[in-house]
Amino acid sequence: MEVIEASARHKRDREKLFIVDTDVHHGFKSWSDLNPYLPQVYAERLRDHGGSGPSSQYWHNGGMRGTRADFLDMSDNLESTRRQLLDDCEIDIAILTGSSASGACNMPDADFGSAICRAFNDYTLEHWIASDERFRVAITVNTQDPFGMAKEIDRIGSHPAVVAIIMPGGATKPYGNRVYDPIYEACERNQLAVMIHFSGEGVGINGPPTAAGWPSHYVEGRMMRAPVYMAHMASFIFEGTFEKFPGLRVINVEAGFAWMPWYLWRMDSDWKALRYQVPWVKKPPSEYVKEHVRLNTQPIDEPENERDLEQIIEWMHGDTILLFGSDFPHFDFDDPRKTLTRLPDNLRCRIFGESALETFPKLRPPE
Amino acid sequence: MGRHVICRAGELQPGEVRIVEAEKRSIGIFNIRGAFYALRNTCPHKGAPLCRGIITGLVVSDEPLQMQMTRAGEIVRCPWHGWEFDITTGHSVYNPHRMRVKTYDVAVESKAEDDPSVETYPVQVEEDYIVLYI
Repeated sequence: MEVIEASARHKRDREKLFIVDTDVHHGFKSWSDLNPYLPQVYAERLRDHGGSGPSSQYWHNGGMRGTRADFLDMSDNLESTRRQLLDDCEIDIAILTGSSASGACNMPDADFGSAICRAFNDYTLEHWIASDERFRVAITVNTQDPFGMAKEIDRIGSHPAVVAIIMPGGATKPYGNRVYDPIYEACERNQLAVMIHFSGEGVGINGPPTAAGWPSHYVEGRMMRAPVYMAHMASFIFEGTFEKFPGLRVINVEAGFAWMPWYLWRMDSDWKALRYQVPWVKKPPSEYVKEHVRLNTQPIDEPENERDLEQIIEWMHGDTILLFGSDFPHFDFDDPRKTLTRLPDNLRCRIFGESALETFPKLRPPE
Repeated sequence: MGRHVICRAGELQPGEVRIVEAEKRSIGIFNIRGAFYALRNTCPHKGAPLCRGIITGLVVSDEPLQMQMTRAGEIVRCPWHGWEFDITTGHSVYNPHRMRVKTYDVAVESKAEDDPSVETYPVQVEEDYIVLYI
């Protein structure tokens, strides 16, 4: 019996994928959890007037308030994540991408928003990062306050578990704009990647979530994720941001990826025609993408014939730019044991772990 | 290879282009500050009449969001999809080594006597002609 078990374990170990999950949502139980990390004036404001603006206030969501209805215990997000995700799915490294505080970026009061970001980051380091060596974090920054957030990045960016910053998709200007330069300078100084996660479109101080106006339903909003990332990526490339910050890495989280081949082809074609208007773009846009931009797999795209995914991944240079993310514990979670299982082993190794290690400058495999 | 007398040199002024038919090809002849160049009038991208595009310069940049015009008049931008070509070499701007348009030799010669297409009545020998070689 022991021999059989040992053999089974050996087989499993040999086949075990090294997995970096680039999208694990963490949060707090109640806004009052942030009180110890907030200046008194803001702690009282939260107590008296409630939390920051929600990140997507005008829609409902899927699942149970956006979360898997089978999620073990909503009141203990942390322990449930360790058991249901890290242990059960054999995740080696989980990058925490927050979401609870992303509304700070679209609050009218930028200083209140920045205070909430700082508090949430400290809360995360103390409660989540300290609890499990498999956790890493993309710290939440307030995109309205680039100089303030450069200080925040310098304050905690050297923590070994801090590997990135995270910014919401919704913004007042696309992210290649020069107003964000202080944030990217600080990221380069601290060897942090930049993650962008769908959130905040059409909320608070941000403009409408689409140029076609305001969709009625949550499912419509999900359909506009890719265009949000397209706008940010075009901005990074054509504003010359990657020429200014050659070490910058940008990871677009949770908008799928099957649209990417078209986007790369379209950008390269249009660059040939319009290069003279943006002459600081020195090479085809797809080259900047290969060097600087990554997409995560979530939510996994499902062509009619699953085998077609391999062709799409080849077209988009997915062996380099595609990173696995589970989106745990949200309702459309992708279980790594059930995701991209038809791909060749070497490509799965790239997507599930190796490419992430190459993307995040500070990410190291566990010893 | 044929020799084709195009026109008197003074008939194609600096900054101008003249499109001619020769040996069943459409070819654009450019005068750039007194020097003459010839390009096939067919864009290698989609076959557009390249030489009818905008004649411009090379916009360059030393750092993001800064730009300047250089080599004024030496670039033609295809009228259909905007691909830029160096008139003096035929090389594309976006990928000079792999995407080019055919160039031809152009000379300014004092006599047109060798061209059989020119009839043989007297020619003013002191006048310069633009001659295209294919």
